[in-house]
Amino acid sequence: MSVHQSKAHDSAVKHVTGEAQYIDDMPEPRGLLHAHLVTSPVAHGRLLSIDTTPALAVPGVAAVVTAADIPGKNDIGSILKGEPVFAEDLVAYVGHPIGAAAALTPEAARAGAKAVKAEIETLKPILTIEDALTAESYVMAPMEMKRGDAAAAIAAAPLSLDGEVMVGGQDHFYLETQVAMALPQEDGDMLVLSSTQHPTEVQHMVAKVLALPYNAVTVEVRRMGGGFGGKESQASLIACIAAILARKTRRPVKLRLDRDDDMMVTGKRHDFLIRWRAGFDETGLLHGVEMTLASRCGWSADLSPPVMSRALSHADNAYYYPAAHFKGFGCRTNTQSNTAFRGFGAPQGMIAAEAMIETIARHLGQDPLELRKRNLYRPGRDRTPYGQKVENFRLPTMIEQITAKTDFAARRAQIRAFNSQSPIIKRGLALAPVKFGVSFNNVMMNQAGALLHVYTDGSIHLNHGGTEMGQGLFVKVAQVVAEVFQVPLDSIKITATTTGKVPNTSPTAASSGTDLNGMAARNAAMAVRNRLVEFIAEHCHGKPEDVVFSDGRVRIGNHDMSFAQVARMAHAARVSLSATGFYKTPHIHFDGKSMTGRPFYYYANGVSVSEVSLDTLTGEWRLERVDILHDVGASLNPAIDKGQVEGGFVQGMGWLTMEELVWDEQGRLLTHAPSTYKIPTARDVPRAFFVDLLENAPNEEMTIYRSKAVGEPPLMLAMSVWLALLDAVAATAAPGKVPRLDAPATPERLLMAVKRASEAA
Amino acid sequence: MRNEIRFVLNGQMRAVSGVEPHVTALSWLRADGLVGSKEGCAEGDCGACTVALGEVEDGRLVWRAVNACILLLPQLDGRHVMTVEGLRGQDGSLHPAQSLLAESHGTQCGFCTPGFAMSLFALSRSAEQPDEDEILDALAGNLCRCTGYRPILDAASALPLDEAPTQEAESARSLAAATSEELSYRTGNAQAYAPRDLDSLIRIRADHPEAWILGGGTDLGLRVTKAHQVPRTIISLAEVGELKTLTETETELVIGAALTYSRALPALARRHPDFAAMIRRIGARQVRNMGSIGGNIVNASPIGDSMPALIALKAQVELAGPQGRRLLPAEDFITGYRQTALAPGEVVAAIRIPHRRPGTAFRAYKIAKRVDQDISTVAASFSLRLEDGRIAEFRAGFGGVAAKPLRALAAERALIGRAWDETAVTAGMAAIDSDISPISDARGSAEYRREVARNLLKRFYFETTQTVEARLA
Ligand SMILES: Cc1cc2nc3c(=O)[nH]c(=O)nc-3n(C[C@H](O)[C@H](O)[C@H](O)COP(=O)(O)OP(=O)(O)OC[C@H]3O[C@@H](n4cnc5c(N)ncnc54)[C@H](O)[C@@H]3O)c2cc1C
Ligand code: FES
Ligand code: FES
Repeated sequence: MSVHQSKAHDSAVKHVTGEAQYIDDMPEPRGLLHAHLVTSPVAHGRLLSIDTTPALAVPGVAAVVTAADIPGKNDIGSILKGEPVFAEDLVAYVGHPIGAAAALTPEAARAGAKAVKAEIETLKPILTIEDALTAESYVMAPMEMKRGDAAAAIAAAPLSLDGEVMVGGQDHFYLETQVAMALPQEDGDMLVLSSTQHPTEVQHMVAKVLALPYNAVTVEVRRMGGGFGGKESQASLIACIAAILARKTRRPVKLRLDRDDDMMVTGKRHDFLIRWRAGFDETGLLHGVEMTLASRCGWSADLSPPVMSRALSHADNAYYYPAAHFKGFGCRTNTQSNTAFRGFGAPQGMIAAEAMIETIARHLGQDPLELRKRNLYRPGRDRTPYGQKVENFRLPTMIEQITAKTDFAARRAQIRAFNSQSPIIKRGLALAPVKFGVSFNNVMMNQAGALLHVYTDGSIHLNHGGTEMGQGLFVKVAQVVAEVFQVPLDSIKITATTTGKVPNTSPTAASSGTDLNGMAARNAAMAVRNRLVEFIAEHCHGKPEDVVFSDGRVRIGNHDMSFAQVARMAHAARVSLSATGFYKTPHIHFDGKSMTGRPFYYYANGVSVSEVSLDTLTGEWRLERVDILHDVGASLNPAIDKGQVEGGFVQGMGWLTMEELVWDEQGRLLTHAPSTYKIPTARDVPRAFFVDLLENAPNEEMTIYRSKAVGEPPLMLAMSVWLALLDAVAATAAPGKVPRLDAPATPERLLMAVKRASEAA
Repeated sequence: MRNEIRFVLNGQMRAVSGVEPHVTALSWLRADGLVGSKEGCAEGDCGACTVALGEVEDGRLVWRAVNACILLLPQLDGRHVMTVEGLRGQDGSLHPAQSLLAESHGTQCGFCTPGFAMSLFALSRSAEQPDEDEILDALAGNLCRCTGYRPILDAASALPLDEAPTQEAESARSLAAATSEELSYRTGNAQAYAPRDLDSLIRIRADHPEAWILGGGTDLGLRVTKAHQVPRTIISLAEVGELKTLTETETELVIGAALTYSRALPALARRHPDFAAMIRRIGARQVRNMGSIGGNIVNASPIGDSMPALIALKAQVELAGPQGRRLLPAEDFITGYRQTALAPGEVVAAIRIPHRRPGTAFRAYKIAKRVDQDISTVAASFSLRLEDGRIAEFRAGFGGVAAKPLRALAAERALIGRAWDETAVTAGMAAIDSDISPISDARGSAEYRREVARNLLKRFYFETTQTVEARLA
């Protein structure tokens, strides 16, 4: 068996030897030029003029381009129009590209870019969500999701409460910054090597800006040094600029952003302002919920509309709201254009639910865990605010399992006792459930293609539309193919994703990579396998159902042949050994207008328990222990899946506790490098970190070998860290009082929350 | 004099000429085709560029992980350099640092991996089997955005100590022979010197007043990679013997200004464990393997971490220049925001830390957003000696709460002569408020800094009186 086994990442040895090539590592083609961006120093302004002549005088500079040099359309908006490659009349954030220089060396390109003179008349910027809400400055029409009459339900409920919480953004901080290399080809065609999760979109955008048909542009990506959503729509900008310069100079051009530019120029996770109002009874059972979610989208729409719709469709997290009314506002601000990031709005939506549950529980003097359990979806109370029914819900038993395993109740009591003895150090404990809907909300995107060749020596060439960013997609899909033919994994060559082999693909996003591409590859492999079966059965005068593939061999009756032999024989008999495969997710539908339907094929579930200690003199804290139980269905590759769970959790913990994006009053991002922007290090991961995958839990839906998507959901497990910190802060507050703790819960926010809590106490 | 930078790279002797001396080791390696080392930040903060630098110490070739992105070419001179490309055995087999990372599923996107492999390689050459804390120390300077670290820590825990192959000693001998002459490097109008004693350092300095004095380069390197400045002349302290020694006398510890943190740590850990613990939080291991206390105080940043402790420990700074030598109390060395008392032509020769009088309590605190490799939001150091229940001596140094690291004189005045009790702490906290003038920036608000600066005195009180647990493990 090849699936359901822990197999190493296909590139693991290349990673550890340094032989795995990223775009910047590739041999540089003859005549290569390096590019550097010219960006706006102000957050909002009218671009009056650009003088590139001083740049051209810098030794080594070959060309400088601005909006005027774009042969085609100066617009790379992926959903809505209005996202120029280079600013034309208005600059809309600090870091907004207004041009780029290409030169013989990166240093000369930097000097050239710096020499460009732009005259800008400064305008007043809108920087914060609050300011944007006041000014009604939006990138999209406000969204609404509702079921029942929430206002009436709240009014009729015995009790009600409201609250507000802010949750910060997050930089992707993929270790490999954005990079692309554009290589002009015959006929004016363009080959683009791009570190992107969405080669097809890069292809389309490059074609648009160069005024070429799509078939004249090929985009290729072997691997990324991390993506996390940041290289979905945002990679187009980098690729397009390289391509524009390559077109202009007729030379290959590489644009690799340095870390500062990467963080200053490209978008991040949306920060959200969340307001909620809930009606409930004395036991804490919810009757109705109203929420307003406002996201900071930055200067353009980018992927903000679907991010908001995913936020709204996860603002229930795991809880049943008998009546719900959610509003979503996508705020236009003069900051980087925020984009996809692992979770895609769902984390922010879930934070809204958890902040609400936590507040109500503490208000009622109840254990938040009890309140969580009371409000979980269950039969009869199983309709989400968007109308999908929650079936076979795994969280109730998963919560039972993890609370038993972690001695939750006993530890809760111990911590209470500890806290009453310890005036300075306080401990906190919390459990967080996660229910994450799998599928793109946009039904059209739930499709994938694959291309598979069997060669006459039995080796297999595999290609599909998914991209490899570290998540282990390639090895998982190869496992699927190996399973179909029952051949060794290493007889399958995994090749770079390219728009020339599998066209019209969806981005590798929404955790869907394996679900979609695994199925497409399986369909391709099955097509070839069926032909082989038919051929061999006929050839050996047997029945197709008697043909058996196992251990790299094919058997029927007394015949026993190697897979390679069969391939050779089939070829000699003129049987095609190549096939494409296609897959579309069944059973899903969604009406974007009414925001109802069945957008998700299934839910992935997880639950985590975190314990923290907090120093109430400084706000410093430690994560003492974490337990996770996560549902990946029947895992295709448990080692890879566990890696996704652990990595996602740690990334989520960074988002909620230490990764702080700070802009100054002029709208300049101050935290644009790892010296100021802190992601977790090894020491931040608790020594006691126990991750289990839910056992014997094949997906009820017909997914690829009954597995479940795993890319995004684990990130949200980190909510238990934030909730545990809140629990520790609450230990300093008067009973019934609920401290507010915005995220990221930095030492400063924690100390200030403690101060407010104890002042009130 | 020698006009070639010579080093052993992955076992091969290399000589570099004609390349400007401010070029970083990372750029040079990558241009040379060794693209395994990656650039993740170009500021020493992510470890993707980690390589191992070997130097003969006490007759033994010692390998240390360093950040190639902020290492300038002259810093390779006379050193051994190992990159990920050099890790495989002669038979092509993977080094345990590599095989364990691969087997434990310690790579996802793989971009951070070569850096981790090199940190692990250096760790595998430790003198003793590392414990868990040592492992975390060794990996603190390597960021991984994908794995969540657990599998990498598993690989590190399983890592066996590595025997130095015999060829290493041979190549150390040939390198020593090849670099017996002092480096005096010139290309175009740029030059680099590596004098071997203090006198010639001062002489060369006098001839090149514009020169950059290069200690470990962990501040200076960023001027090249982040501020994009280009020095014309570099004078490296790497070979100035006197600046790289540590002596322990009856009365004090004399730390050569250019001695790296890593090499100063053992003696500091014996004498002032809390100062050593604080130093272990300066940057990460790669930074401490290059950075020096001399560089830290000359850099004169308000958040330089050594100064508050040096102030509280009554340390003195020894300066050397054309006019000879002089001593300054630590608190008088930094005179303002990024300003020092160095006269033209002067360098820092040593830091002298007197031994504490028996019964003197000392603590050094660093508060930052993250435990490892983060800049202090607030740093504070206190020393205290009681006589007959009264405070006979009290010193307080702070960082991050004013334009320069400062001695909290009002707090000292408020406390000396009092009983060490809660009223004294309250008075001390109020006085700290008047000593400091913090600002708000990306690392924290002025309000938070005030609160923490005051509270740290409270922590010091709890710790010295052992009344209450007041510090996280
Ligand atoms: C990733 C990273 C993390 C860091 N974290 C911290 C931290 O947590 N805390 C902290 O305090 N610092 C930190 N630093 C800053 C830096 O590492 C320290 O300041 C270090 O001590 C500098 O020493 P150096 O030998 O590398 O100095 P260099 O960079 O070589 O020099 C710094 C300055 O001092 C001058 N100089 C050096 N030695 C002498 C001398 N003997 N006489 C006269 N002038 C001299 C140089 O000309 C230069 O102006 C960090 C740096 C990096 C890159
Ligand atoms: S590239 Fe990040 S530390 Fe060198
Ligand atoms: S494996 Fe991707 S950054 Fe470590």
